[in-house]
Amino acid sequence: MILFLLRRLAIGLVVIFLVSTAVFLVTRVVTSPEKAYLPIDASVEQREAVRADLGLDKPLGEQYGVFLGDLVQGDLGDSYWQPGKSTLTLVLERLPSTLLLNSVAIVLALLIAVPLGIIAALKAGGAVDRVATTISLLGLSAPQFWLGFLLILLFGVNLQWFPTSGADRPSSIVLPALALALPTAGKIAQMMRSTMIDELGRPYMLTAESKGMGQTYRVVRHALRNCTVPVLTQSSFEYARMLAGFTVVVETVFAWPGVGSMTVNALEQQDLMLLQAIVIVIATLIVLVNVITDILYSVVDPRIEVA
Amino acid sequence: MSTHPRSRWRQALVLGSALSLAIAIAACGGDDDATSTGGGGGGSSDGFVIAIADEPSTLDPQAQEDGNERAVNDNVYEALLVRDSETNELEPRLATELPTQVEPTVWEFTLREGVEFTNGEPFDAEAAAYSINRIVDPDYESAQLDYYGPLQSAEAVDATTLRVTTSEPDLVLPARFARLKMVPPEASQEDSFTEEPIGTGPYTVTAWDRGQQVTLEANPDYWGEAPPESEVTIKFISEAGTRVAGLRTGEIDLATLLPPEQAADAPQVLTKEGVEFPVYRLKNYDGTLVSKEIRQALNYAVDKDAIAEDLFSGYATVADCQPSQEGTTGYNPDLEPYAYDPDKARELLEEAGYDGEPLSLLGATGRWLKDAEMHEVVIGYLEEVGVSVTPDIRPFSSYIDEFTRTVGDAQPDIGFVSASNELFDASKMDSYYASDGALSSYVNDDADALIAEAAAAESPEDREAAYQELFALGCEDPPFIFTVNLQDIYGASEGLDWTPRSDGSLYIPEMSLGS
Repeated sequence: MILFLLRRLAIGLVVIFLVSTAVFLVTRVVTSPEKAYLPIDASVEQREAVRADLGLDKPLGEQYGVFLGDLVQGDLGDSYWQPGKSTLTLVLERLPSTLLLNSVAIVLALLIAVPLGIIAALKAGGAVDRVATTISLLGLSAPQFWLGFLLILLFGVNLQWFPTSGADRPSSIVLPALALALPTAGKIAQMMRSTMIDELGRPYMLTAESKGMGQTYRVVRHALRNCTVPVLTQSSFEYARMLAGFTVVVETVFAWPGVGSMTVNALEQQDLMLLQAIVIVIATLIVLVNVITDILYSVVDPRIEVA
Repeated sequence: MSTHPRSRWRQALVLGSALSLAIAIAACGGDDDATSTGGGGGGSSDGFVIAIADEPSTLDPQAQEDGNERAVNDNVYEALLVRDSETNELEPRLATELPTQVEPTVWEFTLREGVEFTNGEPFDAEAAAYSINRIVDPDYESAQLDYYGPLQSAEAVDATTLRVTTSEPDLVLPARFARLKMVPPEASQEDSFTEEPIGTGPYTVTAWDRGQQVTLEANPDYWGEAPPESEVTIKFISEAGTRVAGLRTGEIDLATLLPPEQAADAPQVLTKEGVEFPVYRLKNYDGTLVSKEIRQALNYAVDKDAIAEDLFSGYATVADCQPSQEGTTGYNPDLEPYAYDPDKARELLEEAGYDGEPLSLLGATGRWLKDAEMHEVVIGYLEEVGVSVTPDIRPFSSYIDEFTRTVGDAQPDIGFVSASNELFDASKMDSYYASDGALSSYVNDDADALIAEAAAAESPEDREAAYQELFALGCEDPPFIFTVNLQDIYGASEGLDWTPRSDGSLYIPEMSLGS
């Protein structure tokens, strides 16, 4: 177990290193932060001074060396948008909000998707299945941006049940979490449905039925347990997708004070260092999510040996 | 979908259970805010709430050039002078009167007595001199330095007399002092100063919740009149649609920067001509546009009214043949916009012998309000009168490299830019009208002479006259295709009583929610 974890973490480190390198190259090659930082009529000298300030005037190889040296020490540079602040501090300040939102969203998604998938599978091909499938397809095809505004208009403006934006009261999390959860729920429900149909068709289900076991017991205690691994895989993948992208859209729409909305600030301000820190922190998180998922596999299915 | 009667029942069942699930989820969350605000709507518990588009980069008022920072600090800090909200004229604030020019490069201010910063530090000539010397110090690297031009140093003569020195005679100096905020000499040297502002103004900052909001409270010891709203929250909401939704539920009382197409959804819309003048810069020293008649023809060809009405939904005003507005020093009240007259344009093109040679047009996209749409419209108008255009529309980061090429380098024939004048002084436009201006593609000896004349003028009247003449010259021999002056669009709750300011400042003491 320990050995397995160490090996996974070592692979994770390699992944983070590769991501960092990619981020370094992309930010250095594609962007020119000095253009965004300075007024439009800034002189060539001013632009050069900013480049020198950021170390962008040095050869790429040298910049990369400095970058790696700092990275190892946990120094991801200072923000240009918020001068004098370490970008890592800025990201870590906002990270709890993002983790809270995404975790609530994935739990919500499972709460919606698992029952929906089971209902659909039990009556596969019937009207209930078709309705459940339509609902889940609607969910998974709605873009988060559009869905977010729809939820704001419906539950914020018309019904006035929830605040339209912000994070200053506990109920503020409901709408952004729903905007993240519904498309994800659609996907997990599809996965739940198809694996459940597979399981229901297996011989052991027939045996269980012939022994006189009730349907609920058969489905919940036997079939559902066997569906856990694929659903877990899907959920972990969806969670990573939220963290790595969807949360940016949803946090921006709902003015949620997490890393996602800060990503948009960083982009608008062309804060290269901050963007770099965000990508590296999120990449690290995703590596962690994957390791945790691997551990969970062996918890939910003792047949899977972690070695 | 099947129409079998049994399956309809099942559909209803499923839909019903899905709905009740949604309601159950809703109810769980609903409990929390039921006690605090009675749902999202019907006003909020936060007092007066303003939504701006982004978080301030810092709350040090002298460091950055950042409208979000100003939205907060315009209420916390004060400058020596201020612009009148209606006339845009300069008036004293922490000074008792407008400064006097005692020598060509020396000015004196008389300061208000008995003013204190909220930490108890006195505001006196020493503090004022410190504030000025702080911002011009090259090591401090203020991003606002562009506004302060030849400002060199300051010293206290006595407690209420401040002497300011410039490196060359500078008649714009009073305008500069409507922006330069006064900071406390002791507290501003602390590291915490970027997050805990301490000013002399009508409000103090009580909290800065990262990524969310800044809360303000009326300064109980303010030297002036107490503001009507004592508790204010400034929220950061980057999506305009979300700001509008908040206005509609009453969570927000005032929202900035609404796009024209969303303004109609706000309970109340407030507008003011802002500082942005989108223009198409014309290269007059080389190529087809050397001909003044062709440059005039381009101005006749574009329907400015249609741009204002249709593209900007009426939230724009046709510019008066100059990139400046009333209340700006140097504004020429006698100039009229070029009429929309395609026949006249064709006539002028023919007279000038335009041979159909394509004109290169450089434009940015995604940087300024509706920039890409504007290029389409303008190119359409030009082609309508027979002008051939080769568009080169780029994202800002690559556009700017091309646009900032100076006279003589490979400049485009036509280059879009949004000229802005936050200083409300014509000299801000030297960069377009002077042949050595940083953004100029216009070489005109008469214009250069007028700019030199303005710089050497001994009285504000002579200086203003020189700029008015410059703008008249630029109307007749145009360096631009002039278009419109964009309005700042604010959304407000129905009860809000406020007139937006030309300088875009969100000065909260001028706002009240009524009774």
